[in-house]
Amino acid sequence: MPAMTRTMRFAAASLLALAACNDLDVADLNNPGLETLEQTPTPVALNTAATGLLIGLRNGVAVPNGVVTILGALGREGFNLNTNSDPRYVAELILGPLNPGSGAFGANIWAARYANIRNTVVVLHATEKVAGMSDAEKEGLRGFAKTIQALELLLVIATRDANGAVIDVDRVPTGEPGAIATKAEVYARIGTLLDEGRTHLLAAGTSFSFPLGSGFAGFDTPATFLKVNRAIRARAAVYNNEWATALTALGQSFLDTNAPLSLGAYHIFGTASGDTPNGILEGTPEIRANPFVVSSAQLRVGGAKDKRVTDKIETGESGTGSSGTTIITSDQHFKIYPTNVTPVAIIRNEELILLRAEANLGSGNLGQAVIDINFIRTNSGGLPPYAGAVTAAALLDELLYNKRYSLIWEGGHSWIDYRHYGKLTSLPRMVTGGKFFSKMPFPNNECLARTDAASQPGCAPEVGQ
Amino acid sequence: MAAKQGVLVAALLGLLAGTAAAQGRSVSGTVRDSLTGVGIEGARVAVQGTPLLTATDQAGQFTLAGVPAGAAMVLVRAVGYRRREIALGADATTLDVTLTRDVFKLEEVVITGQVTGVARRNLPNAVASLGSEDISIHPTVSLEHQLQGKVAGADIQTNSGAPGGGVQVRLRGVTSINATAEPLFIVDGVIMSDVAIASNANAITGAAGGSNPSLTQDALVNRIADLNPAEIESIEILKGSSAAAIYGGRAANGVVIIRTKRGLPGTTRIELTQRFGYSSLMRKIGSRRFATAAEVDAAYPNTGYGALYCSGGTCPFFDHEEELAGQRKLSIETIASITGGSDNTRYYASGTLQNEPGIIHNTGFDRESIRLNLDQHFSSKLNMQLTTNVLHTRAKRGITNNDNNGVSFYYILTGTPSFVDLRQNPDGTWPDNPFQASNPLATANRVDNKEDVWRFLASNRMQWTPLTTERSSLILSAVGGMDYFIQKNTIFSPPDLQYEPLDGLVGTSLLNNSDNLNLNLDGNAVHTFRGGGFTATSSAGVQYSRRSLDINRITSRNLIAGQSNVSAGTAVTVAENRSQIKNLGFFAQEELLLLNDRLGLTAGIRADQSSLDADPSHLSWFPKVAAFYRIEGGPNATVNEFKLRAAFGQTGNEPLYGQRFTPLNSTQNLGGLPGLVTLGTVGASDLRPERNQEIELGFDGQFLRSRLNVEASVYQKNVKDLLLTRNLPPSSGFAQEIFNGGKLRVRGVEASAAWIALQQRGVQLYLRSTFAKNFSRITELPVPTFQTGGFGSALGAFQIEQGKSATQIVGTDTLASTMTDVVLGDANPDFRMSFTGDLTYKRFTVHALVDWQQGGNVVNLTRLLQDAFGNAPDGDAGNARIGAWAVGQASVYIEPATFAKVREVAVGWEVPPSVMRSLWGGVRSASISLSARNLFWFATPYHGFDPEVSNFGNQPIARNIDVTPYPPSRSFFLTINLGM
Repeated sequence: MPAMTRTMRFAAASLLALAACNDLDVADLNNPGLETLEQTPTPVALNTAATGLLIGLRNGVAVPNGVVTILGALGREGFNLNTNSDPRYVAELILGPLNPGSGAFGANIWAARYANIRNTVVVLHATEKVAGMSDAEKEGLRGFAKTIQALELLLVIATRDANGAVIDVDRVPTGEPGAIATKAEVYARIGTLLDEGRTHLLAAGTSFSFPLGSGFAGFDTPATFLKVNRAIRARAAVYNNEWATALTALGQSFLDTNAPLSLGAYHIFGTASGDTPNGILEGTPEIRANPFVVSSAQLRVGGAKDKRVTDKIETGESGTGSSGTTIITSDQHFKIYPTNVTPVAIIRNEELILLRAEANLGSGNLGQAVIDINFIRTNSGGLPPYAGAVTAAALLDELLYNKRYSLIWEGGHSWIDYRHYGKLTSLPRMVTGGKFFSKMPFPNNECLARTDAASQPGCAPEVGQ
Repeated sequence: MAAKQGVLVAALLGLLAGTAAAQGRSVSGTVRDSLTGVGIEGARVAVQGTPLLTATDQAGQFTLAGVPAGAAMVLVRAVGYRRREIALGADATTLDVTLTRDVFKLEEVVITGQVTGVARRNLPNAVASLGSEDISIHPTVSLEHQLQGKVAGADIQTNSGAPGGGVQVRLRGVTSINATAEPLFIVDGVIMSDVAIASNANAITGAAGGSNPSLTQDALVNRIADLNPAEIESIEILKGSSAAAIYGGRAANGVVIIRTKRGLPGTTRIELTQRFGYSSLMRKIGSRRFATAAEVDAAYPNTGYGALYCSGGTCPFFDHEEELAGQRKLSIETIASITGGSDNTRYYASGTLQNEPGIIHNTGFDRESIRLNLDQHFSSKLNMQLTTNVLHTRAKRGITNNDNNGVSFYYILTGTPSFVDLRQNPDGTWPDNPFQASNPLATANRVDNKEDVWRFLASNRMQWTPLTTERSSLILSAVGGMDYFIQKNTIFSPPDLQYEPLDGLVGTSLLNNSDNLNLNLDGNAVHTFRGGGFTATSSAGVQYSRRSLDINRITSRNLIAGQSNVSAGTAVTVAENRSQIKNLGFFAQEELLLLNDRLGLTAGIRADQSSLDADPSHLSWFPKVAAFYRIEGGPNATVNEFKLRAAFGQTGNEPLYGQRFTPLNSTQNLGGLPGLVTLGTVGASDLRPERNQEIELGFDGQFLRSRLNVEASVYQKNVKDLLLTRNLPPSSGFAQEIFNGGKLRVRGVEASAAWIALQQRGVQLYLRSTFAKNFSRITELPVPTFQTGGFGSALGAFQIEQGKSATQIVGTDTLASTMTDVVLGDANPDFRMSFTGDLTYKRFTVHALVDWQQGGNVVNLTRLLQDAFGNAPDGDAGNARIGAWAVGQASVYIEPATFAKVREVAVGWEVPPSVMRSLWGGVRSASISLSARNLFWFATPYHGFDPEVSNFGNQPIARNIDVTPYPPSRSFFLTINLGM
């Protein structure tokens, strides 16, 4: 009997030991986990996530239906006429309405932007928890992440405008969605983020802990990246009519009339495994420039068209896109992106000079504006100096002309600018029934999650004018 | 009623008499087989209410000493026979008993708990069980084929005819939308992996490059196919949650408990089985016959093909199907087993060699299996059961199913007209196919698609009985199980094949290495207490299990030199997918048999925690309760026994590996700089198993002097907490959340009847039939209606919609309205029935099994392809069909899945011992049989190969999609058995 009880005790102990091997937590063996990065980040992982913000930023920009092509169509810069692959290139983007159900068209430039905003939130969370990084390195991460977050929010509000956008982004993703903030609140938030970013960058030492890649060559230290931060601050301020703020920020940016107009920050592309190629390169099926852009170009001395047209657009094979009886034809091809690794500008010197002109114009400094406009006319367009009336109205038209030709097919600048000044309808309709849209709606899934969807104008289709 | 009371009173009297008796007497007699009159060895004879027990000798004789005076009830039992209770007269000293064969297996012990078993007659559930005699009639590659048509409520369908397996077992209808659909397989205590690993043939066919990115289109083998059916002793199938609840969080799809053969004490016995056979193409889909050059020119305008191919005005006809799948090669299977041992040490060892060439050249299946099962009794209280099995299976499966690159054999044949000659040239080269990207005859000959699996299964059960008294016993057992396999898939597509240059990278070599390890460790305690007229069995235990699977894929392209080594390619990609799962479960169960086994009550509970749950320390509870009550009418009554039963239970279906995580994407880079970004999917913070609850009601009855056995059940399953995908507001930064929600319901009825129609003068005619019907409803869906599987509405899609059948097929329909989706069918059949007949006359046996499915639909895209290529056997009618489809009539290719198949036919003859002895003295027994599988089919409403089909392999919902699969075959075997 004692032997038996001993054995029984052993058996019972074995069973308990079995029950106690309670460590059932198995990590994700295929992908790094978000929770691990947020809660127990290593410097390597955090730095990789910081570089990832530029991958997120690039996402959805240079694709057949992305930032460049969709906003380019809305602003009549050019089109993707590949209606065989999707009729909505014409049916929705030209004829409307912009549909909340079209996450890839009318309601695009939202999900991918907020996905990268989430990435910035993750980096900011991880920065608070990371061990083994200096305070300066952490400040660099914060400054970088907030700048990228602001840049993404700026793209969101530039496309949603009066519909507003979500700025309360540091939330539990599966909980109630963040409220829709007004346009003014969003711009205020963008300003705050960029200014906070500036403070962080000023305390970030001499170098970042993470690489930014060749797209930020010359802007990849805290001090130089700060100039990009200020450039974005200037763009946001101009969009929001904060002229003085814009001029101050431009003064701290990389604006330099002695530097190449192409100086700036770029999205870069690659064809290696895991990298992303430029998906709107010359020759991408049925991407065409708007013939109106060519026909309405100003002439150089000697009669040639604006150098920006001849540099960026050439005549080639005709392409046709249609929706029902509506047909759009163009034989004008962009040659801005000759290869699938040609970078796409994020923000560059030429825009900054034009932003300075715009801010001066807005502040009433017409003379200052004329100087910058002429600089661009002569250096970028090969045109003679401005000879028109020096009035605010005339100069605004001249500024919009130059912004269109200087920044065409780089991210929808025309649409944003013409909308900014209520001049969309001065653009050609292209076809009977062609519509101009002042803002894009939210995607369906954003509205389905909201109890106040019915009262949100962003949840309704955008019929246009 | 009166009869029943009489028996009760007699039993009680017997008990009283037994206890009241003071003096003993001796009773002797013989126990015989009722059909042959031969004495039964090893029958146990017991006087009820006393500890008196004895066993019969070789001649069936017994003697019981010290039987108390007065009338008594004697219980006589023997393996394979019905038990019998016989009244012993007050003064009787002799007792001759005849036992009838237990054709219905009512006495068989069925394992119902993790460790406990009960006799079939005492089951509170409808549990199907099959013995080795049921699954050895005709050899098949995979075990599941052996179950087809033999289990009511089990819908067992092959995915294609490809050699090597790929069969789905669905027990009692739909159980899930997104979770696994596989039952839990437990083989000798080992949780055996039934995982299906893609061969990555997709890298050549591009099947996943179309509208459905699923890699399951590679004609997967679910790995239970490795198990050798010839070594199986018994299979028990717990179909629903009420029976399987004690298996907890992985049992929602049912549990299949398999025991392999074990040693018997006594003289060494050797069994040899030799089989010869062949397989042949079961059915052709046909191809258009072109009579004249004009007809060719009409079908292929402006090509000049009429003049080119039909010189002299008549067109040749080449039967490409025969050329491709007309192979009839010798199949061989050799099985040798040896069993024997002493009372303390018993062994069963067997070896199997199996070689079954497929009907397409360069395809086939091989198996080698070695098994040693050892039982060792260290003492009367301690014993050990060791099970080991080494398996090697090889399948060459060809390139079939969906295709986007012009490689899949039949995909190409659907677009190849019959007048073109694809046969090999005299110089050994193959002609190019001018109509398609490849010549399937050349592809079949030159492309190797090999799957090579080495597998080791082992388990050991240590059982210790520290306590045995007259009234109670305690058994402690520990079981350790292991299942390890390595699966290697290689596919080599030589660079000079017609289709190879199309991607600019000639030649493709694929190498996939996968290894899987399943481990489980169980500790159990069972206490049994027998009181006057009742038995209480209490059991409790704990089970720890671990599974890990690592799949490595190498895809190498541009093998210009023709070398298949993957390092020879210039474009090489590597992918790895890993998973590891840990489970811990606890259970406790109480089984009560009351009123002399007439009333049975069972209650149990299982608690599971799993690494797949969001909170791995959270316990999920799965309760069960069950009861039966039996009315006994006596052996000569019209109603001999009637048992009413009711059972309730819950089980779970786990989330898939990885679903609980919120992963980051680490595969992207920025000009060579790695970057981490979110992937868009969130795992719910409370992700947990799907919960499957079942209520089953039924009866079992024996009628007509126990010649007719009927079992019938109705059940309702309610599945809640379904694993679903919900769209998140994109401003959260994520697209989707995987969460638990929604409900579905399955109601069904199943019945089986077995009738000993004739049992006299050496003739026995035994007839069986099964019937099953079920239907499902999505009763709650917290997400919008969505489609799962398939290729979209235009081609017929499975749509999950609240209030509708879970397996409904919808599609576009321009007749009813304008291009809206309407319900066009349902994959679920109206009902299934089977009929089995066994005729025994002296030494001759005849067996036949017919499996019938009525209703249900298949999306027949094979026919669509044929029509689209203008190659339908019915010519212009095909053009009309594709024309109707092209304007939005998806219904054209939704076809009825009704079939009746003669699954098994066999005739056998047992050689008389006298003849045997005169031929070869060393042989104890010999038999010979001739059998066929799929001898005939009736599937006339269907125009593909086989309505039993699944392009996407095993699926919870989206089966029944036919895209040019490997064609089905019929097989014939001659079997010779020798016993020594």
